[in-house]
Amino acid sequence: MKIIGALIIIFSLTMIGFQAASMFSNRPKEIRRIIIGLQVLETEICYGSTALPQALLHVAKRVRGNVGELFYLASGFLTHYDGLSTSDCWEMAIEKMWGKTVMKKPEKEILMHLGKVLGQSDRSDQQKHIRLAAINLQSEEEEARSDQKKYEKMCKSLGFLGGILAVILIY
Amino acid sequence: MMDTRLIAILPGPIRDLLQGVVSNVRDQLEEIRIRRERPIELIFGQTSRFVCSNGELTSHPAKAWKVNAQEMDKMTNLISQHSLYALEEELKRGYVTITGGHRIGISGKAVLEKGEVRALRDISSFNIRIAREMKGVALPIIPYLLGQTQLLNTLIISPPQCGKTTLLRDLARTISYGNVHMAGKKVAIVDERSEIAGSVGGIPQRDVGPRTDVLDACPKAEGIMMLIRSMSPEVIICDEIGRPEDAVAIQEALNAGVSLITSVHGANLTDINRRPTIRQMTGQGMFHRYILLSRSKGVGTVEGIFGENFQSLEKVETPC
Repeated sequence: MKIIGALIIIFSLTMIGFQAASMFSNRPKEIRRIIIGLQVLETEICYGSTALPQALLHVAKRVRGNVGELFYLASGFLTHYDGLSTSDCWEMAIEKMWGKTVMKKPEKEILMHLGKVLGQSDRSDQQKHIRLAAINLQSEEEEARSDQKKYEKMCKSLGFLGGILAVILIY
Repeated sequence: MMDTRLIAILPGPIRDLLQGVVSNVRDQLEEIRIRRERPIELIFGQTSRFVCSNGELTSHPAKAWKVNAQEMDKMTNLISQHSLYALEEELKRGYVTITGGHRIGISGKAVLEKGEVRALRDISSFNIRIAREMKGVALPIIPYLLGQTQLLNTLIISPPQCGKTTLLRDLARTISYGNVHMAGKKVAIVDERSEIAGSVGGIPQRDVGPRTDVLDACPKAEGIMMLIRSMSPEVIICDEIGRPEDAVAIQEALNAGVSLITSVHGANLTDINRRPTIRQMTGQGMFHRYILLSRSKGVGTVEGIFGENFQSLEKVETPC
């Protein structure tokens, strides 16, 4: 009976460790997806001159996971709330999805900032803003990757070892 | 009833306001003018009225409800679908065609680049011109335009807002479908200002007939040449000629054996002969029929139809 209890403690703490580690490994992935999404958006806007709701929908189809969902929501808000401004719709979509992603504050700020200008100027201007956001996100991505290297393994082993420690302390 | 596609581009408060306007005025609306910080003006028949906050009409601007900056921004967003960049060309020209074929004129502050207008910003006025289809107005005119083998080259002369474009559109439709006077012909429309067919995304929002090809937003002179080369039309229809290069293109069309129906701004025959390019065209006998429009008995009154030497042919009355 004791052994089963001990195993459960070790297992659960290991899982918590893995969970924390996956946050570190998913953050760069999600940032990458956003960057890809912005690249698609840039093409849609600059070469296709596609209207924003349509363009965001196309982006949502190309990008996987929660990030795709974010673009999908933004597109939906733009079409359904005809009284709201573009940036309001964009911010609403971000606020709604942000909890489900593992991205951090700097990424959010970059996206919020982009939302203020999205759709509000001519094509060359839009291109500049989207590229700027993508470049900023790239530096965040690099940082997220170095964090991943530093902490991912640590979290995993910490969880397992913490489990063992807890078991030892209990006995 | 107002077109739902038109209502869709109005911001909520303005939408509600217009719903409160008496329905017989709503049905006859020709223009809705929306200006920043000023009242909404409705143009119907020959009258202009402002709208009060309870939907009543007044001729006194101080009593009327005023549009605020926020609503103007919302309307810009609705018209552009949150994408000003997609309207670059339209903002350069100063108007947008929306689904349903209605046209919205825009004015604001021009952004210049090398002395040319690149875009408009700080948009201050919208002029919504409500498009109306008048099916059948062209039918009584068709007999006068029939030549031996093909349609005669025709120039429609009309002051603004007298149904010039409506008549051109109905001519396109009537000729394209065919009618009691003639079999259907291949029609091509050069729609420089997206007014005749009201195309949105390449799709004509107006019924222009089954045998009609539309070259949307293309300059007339170039468009006429392109159509002759590529689409082998029997009739070309275009709006508002007047530039020297138009004359060359029209000559080209006539040489290619294509009939041409077009229009020009003017109140009467002497008026148009004062304009050098038009005089040159009429002098060379390019046109065989002249149709004069006015609004003496309502929009689209045909004042008279004239032959190539400006002799009056039998007058037809088509009140509409």
